[in-house]
Amino acid sequence: MRFIMPLINVLAFLLLAPLFEGLLRRLTARVQSRQGPPLVQPYYDLLKLLGKENLNSAGTWPFRLAPLLAFASILVVVAVIPFGFRAGALAGRMDGILVVYLLTLGGVAVLMGALAGRNTFGLIGASREMVTMIMIEPVLAMTIILGAVKLKTLTLVAAMPFASGAGYGVSTVLMLAVYLLALQAFAGRQPFDIAEAEIELLEGPMIEYSGPNLALFKLSAMLKRMFYAWLFVSAFLPFLRTGIYPLDMLLQLAAMAVVFAVIGLVGATNPRLRIDQAVRYYAVLIVWALVAIGLAVKGW
Amino acid sequence: MRLLTPLFLAFLILAAAAVLSAATARARRFSGWLHFALAVEAAAFLVWTGIRAAAGHGMEEAVLVRLGPFVVPFLIDGLAGLFLIVIGVVSAASALYSVRYMEYYAGYSLRGYYFRLPLFVLGMAALVTIDDLSIGFSLAWQIMTIASFLLIRFETRVKAAVRAAGRYLLLMELAWALIVGAGILLGGRAGDSLHEIGLKAAAANPAVLAAALALLLLGFGLKAGVFPLGQLWLPDAHSAAPSPVSALLSGVMLKTGIFGLIRIFFFLAPAAGPGFDPRFWGGLLAAVGTVTLFIGTLQCVKQSDAKRLLAFSSIGQIGYIVLGLGAALFLSASDEPALAGLAAAAILGALFHVLNHAIFKGLLFLTSGSLLYATGTKDLNRLGGLVKWMPVSAVLAAIASLAVAGMPPGSGFASKWTIIASTLLAGQGWVLLVPFGIVALFTSAVTLACYVKFFGLAFTASGAEAAAAKPIREVPGSMLAAKIGLAAICLAQGLLPFLFVRLIAGALGHSVGFAMGWFFESGAWSRAVGASASGLRIESLLGPAAGAAVSPLLVLALLLLALLLGVWLRRSAGSRERAVPTWLCGYQTLNESTRFTDRGMFAALKNLFRWTGGRTSPKE
Repeated sequence: MRFIMPLINVLAFLLLAPLFEGLLRRLTARVQSRQGPPLVQPYYDLLKLLGKENLNSAGTWPFRLAPLLAFASILVVVAVIPFGFRAGALAGRMDGILVVYLLTLGGVAVLMGALAGRNTFGLIGASREMVTMIMIEPVLAMTIILGAVKLKTLTLVAAMPFASGAGYGVSTVLMLAVYLLALQAFAGRQPFDIAEAEIELLEGPMIEYSGPNLALFKLSAMLKRMFYAWLFVSAFLPFLRTGIYPLDMLLQLAAMAVVFAVIGLVGATNPRLRIDQAVRYYAVLIVWALVAIGLAVKGW
Repeated sequence: MRLLTPLFLAFLILAAAAVLSAATARARRFSGWLHFALAVEAAAFLVWTGIRAAAGHGMEEAVLVRLGPFVVPFLIDGLAGLFLIVIGVVSAASALYSVRYMEYYAGYSLRGYYFRLPLFVLGMAALVTIDDLSIGFSLAWQIMTIASFLLIRFETRVKAAVRAAGRYLLLMELAWALIVGAGILLGGRAGDSLHEIGLKAAAANPAVLAAALALLLLGFGLKAGVFPLGQLWLPDAHSAAPSPVSALLSGVMLKTGIFGLIRIFFFLAPAAGPGFDPRFWGGLLAAVGTVTLFIGTLQCVKQSDAKRLLAFSSIGQIGYIVLGLGAALFLSASDEPALAGLAAAAILGALFHVLNHAIFKGLLFLTSGSLLYATGTKDLNRLGGLVKWMPVSAVLAAIASLAVAGMPPGSGFASKWTIIASTLLAGQGWVLLVPFGIVALFTSAVTLACYVKFFGLAFTASGAEAAAAKPIREVPGSMLAAKIGLAAICLAQGLLPFLFVRLIAGALGHSVGFAMGWFFESGAWSRAVGASASGLRIESLLGPAAGAAVSPLLVLALLLLALLLGVWLRRSAGSRERAVPTWLCGYQTLNESTRFTDRGMFAALKNLFRWTGGRTSPKE
C-alpha cells in the first residue's frame, strides 16, 4: 500500500486540479454577475491545447525544456506529500526543505521559458515572477519549518501535521493568519497575479507559449494551487483526521474546495496591486512568520 | 613523513613550471601547453597527497623541516588533505583553460602570467600544509599574495585592474600583519606549531586570548571575504583578473581563509582550555556568516557585469560556509548527544560546501571567461542568445548555475541542505540558529534569481549578436575540456554526496588536534549523519524518525519519470512544432531600445534592498 500512495497522490491531483480550477472560475463569474463556464471547462481547455500546434519562437532547448521542468517538479512534490495524512513510501526519504526547493525549481522553469522566449513582456513578467517567488517562499518554508521546530524533524513522515503538530499554540494561530494573508500570492490570483497580469502583460512569462507547452504550464499552475490548498488543510486542520485513509482524503479534498472558494472570492473582489506594493506587503508577512517561528522555538 | 616527499615534488614541479613556461613565453601556445603539462603533474601529486592524508595515511603530528635558515613545521593531516585536493583539481582545470584563453590578451606578454600562476598555486598549497603563524606562514602567505597580486594586475593598461590589485595587496598585507601579530600576542615563537601556540595561549590572560582570536578572525576573515571585509577587495579583484585566475581566486584562495578559521577555532583555540568560549565564538561566526550570505547575495542580484556577479555571489557562498562552521562550533560545546550530532552535521555541511563551491564557482568563472572570449564583453546588458552558438558551454553553465543556486539534485543543494537542516533542527541549542537557517533558505532563492539572470541573459534571451565584434563561435576544445571535467565532478557531488561526506568525515577523523576529532575518529558521527548511496540523513536522536533526509538519486529518478510523463502528454495528441518569430509586443524590430535588459531585472527587489549596497562598477 505504501508504494501505491505516491501514485494515488499523483492521480488524484492530476484528475482533480482542473476541477478546482473550474470551481474558481465559476465562482469568480458569479461574483461578477456572469453565468460563467461549466465546471469542467478547464478539462476542455487542456484537451484543446494538447491538440494544437506547438509554436516555438526561440528554437532552443531551454524553451522546450521549461514547460516539462515546471510540470515535473510540481509532480514530484505531489508524489511525496502525505496526502490524506498518510505517508507513502517516498516520504521517508524526502523532507520539507526539498519540497521548498522543488517548488522553487518549478518557478525557475517558468522563468527559463520566458527568458528563452525573448519576448519583452515575457521578460517583465519573469522578473516579477522571480521577485514574487523570492518574497513568498519564506512564508511557505516557515509554515513547514514551524512543524519541524515543534516536532524536531523535517521529514514528511513525522512532520505530517506540520504547523499544528504537537498541538495548537499561539505560534500556530499566528502562522495560520499569515498563511491566509499569503494565500492569494501562493495561488497567483488577484490581487497578486502581478506576473501574469493578463490585461497589462498578456500572461507575462507564458506569452510565447501555445499548444501542449501552454497546457503543461497551465496544468502545473493548477497543481501548484492545489498543493497550496492541501498544505493549508494539512498544516492547520489536523482535526480532519479520522484514521480511515479514503475518508481522510475525501475530508481533505472537501476542505481544499473551501480554500479554493476563499481564493476565488478574495480574487474576484480585489484589484491587482503593483509589484512594489506587493513586495512591501510580503515583507511584513515574512516578519510575522519569523515571529511565529520564534514563538514556536520558545514552545508557545 | 612519507607524504612530505610528494608534496615537495609538487612544489618542485610548480617551480620548474614557473621557470620553464616563462622562459618559453614567446611561443605563446607552446608555453601554455608546457605549463599545463607540468601543472597537471603537480596537481596529481597534490591530489594524491590529499587523498592519502584524508584516508588516514597522513601525519600524526607536525614535522619540522629546515628551509634554509628557517625551521618550519609542516602538518599534512586530513584537513590539509581536503584543501590540497581542492587546490589540485581547480588549478589543473585552470591551467588547461589558460592555454587557449590567454589568446584573448593578444597585446600582453605571457611571461609574467605563466611565471606567477604556478607560484600562486605553490603558495596556496604551502599555506594549507604549513602549521605555524610565524616564518613558514609568512613565506607561504607572501608567495600566494604577491603572485596573485601580480596576476590580478595582469592587464596593466586597465586602470581599474591596477587599482583593484593595489588595494588587494594592501589589505592582504594588513591581514598578514593581523595574523602574525596575533601569533606573537599569544606567545608563539618562530617554529612553534599551532598546537604549541594553543598550549601557550592556555597560560595567557583570557583578555589577551580574546584579543588574539579577534585579530585572527579579522585576518582570515579578510582573506575569506566575510562581510564587510570581503566587499573591500573581492569584487574588484575577482573581476579584474583573467578568468582562470578568478576561478582560482574564488574557488580556492578564499578557502585558505576558511582553512585558517577552521585551524584557529577548531584546533588552536580549544587547546587553550577554559579561556576559550566556543559558544561565544561559534555564535559570532554563525552571525557573521548569516550577515555575509544575506548581504553578499543581495548585492549579487544588482550586478550586471558577469564577473562581478560571480564575485559577489562568492561572498554569499562563503557566508554559508562560515554559518556552518559557527553553528558547529557553538553546538560542539553542548553535552547533549543530539546537539553534538547536529554539530557534526553542520561542519560536514560546511566542508562539503567548500568542495562544492570550489568546483561550481571555478566552472562559473571559466564560463564567464568563455563569454568574454567569444563575444568580447561580460556585460549582461549586452549579452544574450548564446545557446545558439555555444551549445556545450550553455549546458555546462546550466549545470553550474543549478548547482550554485542549490536546486535539487545539484551539488549546492546537498551541502546547503546539510547546513540549513542542521541549523533548523538546533533551535533548542540556540534559538537564533533557526532564524539563521531561515535567512539561509531565503537567500538561496535570491541566489537562484542571480543565476537565472546570469544564465538567462547570457545564453538565452537576445542581444549578443549586436554586441559582438566578430562572429560568435563555441570556445576551443581544450577550454571546453577543462569545463567538462569540473562539470563532471559537480554532477558527482550532487548525485553521490555520500562519497564526499564520507571523505570529509574520514579526513576530520584523521586531523591532528581537531576539537571534535573523537566524534569522527570513533565513527560516532555516523549515528548522527547517515550517508549512503540512498542519500543523506540527519538523525534527530530525539524521536523515532530521522531529523531530515534527502535522496538526490531518487529525486533525479522521480524528476526524470515526471519529465517523461510530460513528454508523453505533449505528444499525446500528435501536436507538431512550428518555428515562428517572437512577437515583439507591437514593435517592428527588437533593438537596444525595445528589448528588456538587465537593468530592469528584479527592479522591485533591488529597490527593496537598496540599503544593502553593492557597487555595480569598480571604484574609480
